[in-house]
Amino acid sequence: MNPFTTQLLQRKVNAIGNLPAMPSVLASLGECLSASPSEENLERIVELISCDKSLAAQCLRTANSALFGRRIEVDSVRRAVLALGIWRIRDVVYSCSLPSIFGKADRGIAPATFWRHAMGTALVTQHLAQRLDIPHIEKFYLAGLLHDIGILVNSLLLGEDFHKVLAEAERSETPLNEVENEILGFTHCDSGRILADLWKLPPDISETIEFHHHPASKDSDSEMTCTVYLADLLCRLRGLGYGYYEAREFDLASEPSWMLLRTRYAAAGELDMARFTFELDEHAVKVQALVDSIFGKTPNDVTH
Amino acid sequence: MALDTLVAPAQDPANAELSDPALIKLRDLIYCISGIYHPENKFYLLATRSRRRMKAINCKTFADYYEHLTTRPNRNAEMRSLLNEITIGETYFFRSQAQIEAVSKIILPKLVASPSRQAYKKLRFWSAGCSTGEEPYTLSILLIEQAANKLKDWNCEIVATDLNDNSIAKCKEGLYAEYSVRNLTPERRQRFFKQEGNLYRVSDEVRARVKFERLNLQDQSAILFMKGFDLIFCCNVLIYFDGVAKRRTVDHFYNGLVPGGHFFLGECETLFGIYDQFRLAHFPGATGYYKAIPGEETGASR
Repeated sequence: MNPFTTQLLQRKVNAIGNLPAMPSVLASLGECLSASPSEENLERIVELISCDKSLAAQCLRTANSALFGRRIEVDSVRRAVLALGIWRIRDVVYSCSLPSIFGKADRGIAPATFWRHAMGTALVTQHLAQRLDIPHIEKFYLAGLLHDIGILVNSLLLGEDFHKVLAEAERSETPLNEVENEILGFTHCDSGRILADLWKLPPDISETIEFHHHPASKDSDSEMTCTVYLADLLCRLRGLGYGYYEAREFDLASEPSWMLLRTRYAAAGELDMARFTFELDEHAVKVQALVDSIFGKTPNDVTH
Repeated sequence: MALDTLVAPAQDPANAELSDPALIKLRDLIYCISGIYHPENKFYLLATRSRRRMKAINCKTFADYYEHLTTRPNRNAEMRSLLNEITIGETYFFRSQAQIEAVSKIILPKLVASPSRQAYKKLRFWSAGCSTGEEPYTLSILLIEQAANKLKDWNCEIVATDLNDNSIAKCKEGLYAEYSVRNLTPERRQRFFKQEGNLYRVSDEVRARVKFERLNLQDQSAILFMKGFDLIFCCNVLIYFDGVAKRRTVDHFYNGLVPGGHFFLGECETLFGIYDQFRLAHFPGATGYYKAIPGEETGASR
């Protein structure tokens, strides 16, 4: 993004001034997580979640959903924290609390559709990272969940104008970022970065939000960005996208991000990618069930 | 609401058998042998089809059946019967919607826009193992529908082959029951078929583009002549070949494609562990294989 666009966008954000603040539970949770793990910390996390009854209820529902592995059945926040561990519980809290703060951003994209893609990408990012044996993937789910957060920013900032961008993307069967660039001169990657900075998200997640459409470049060659890019692409092609047909083909072997991951992780060379893709159809069912539990009945807008 | 009411509800007993761990082992065994993958959301199909075979050989549980398929002397024959059951009745017009959309919305536009193709505007498709003809006729309908715009001035040919003489005769006859045409829009039925009692006959226009031939994919010399294709479909055929025959046949397909050509298997079939010259290509809702053009730039989505 050129500096002029950044300034323009920044001014627009400041002028409207309605970008949602980071939910306080997430900010406090962030503090707990950055401190060293301790009994005290654990109690504080349980307390934070329990404070908000509807959040606590949704967290339990999510923790018990097939998406988070249903093997354990938890009936209290404390047990959920103990069973899932603090990293996973953080993922659950983010998944549950973010949709509500963006509830009003429905002039651009249907919230249920947005969060289906976000949670789908989060899940696939994590699975792919695990299959590739990438170490330290604690934040990968979160990066997947937040990668498109700029789309919500654009919905809030631009309202009806953003609706036109979405309609054009759907009509021309083109990826959203390309249409945004053409019509708006910036993309959700740029506006997402502004929100990421405002929320003081960890630098690697902010970088992923900004570069998830241009991974494996000189600006960003992190495993996180590459994995989120691939998960995003796979989700959009496999029933977890934004509900419209994107007329595109990609072959993994020639994707720079895949090539980069292959050079760093031997497991990539052995991964049965076709089967991994078919498994996405299994994830799609689980993600839909979770989104249904958050939003009630969702519009049947899945085209694939 | 009390928090203890929020735990996940107990699983529906009707679906209980779908979470039988033996079914997962069965799925993985079928995948290893045939390359056909059943995602969890298709387990009901796997269960129904396996149960038909289990009834025939008097197996009570999926675990018993798995044991039968892995340890009994007649396990290969039984696996073949199961694969027959899995792929039976699978053919009807416009069956693999996502593959068809990939051809019409992505592959065809790319082919006709390619500068290297402008001097010789000819497209060739091959439906290998065409069974009773629904697949090649679907491709023919697709080409006719695009003949007025995208494919104006293009010469398109579909070669459809099968080992079975009866299938080829049925293809040429072009007469289909309701089951085969159930996925067709009323417009397509009207335009491309003529109703004859309870049956539907494909129009001469659809028939004209398809050339049917009997061909054994194991016949090494005959298959050598199958060259110069832009697109090859081979659905649920390779599953019946052993590893060596599979590799050899796919190698022929690879050589039969022009660089930049595409190869499609059945919707849930893969080439993993069989052949690695192709690149795996992702389309919305479908996967296929791509023969790269020598020296082709890597690094961009096409």
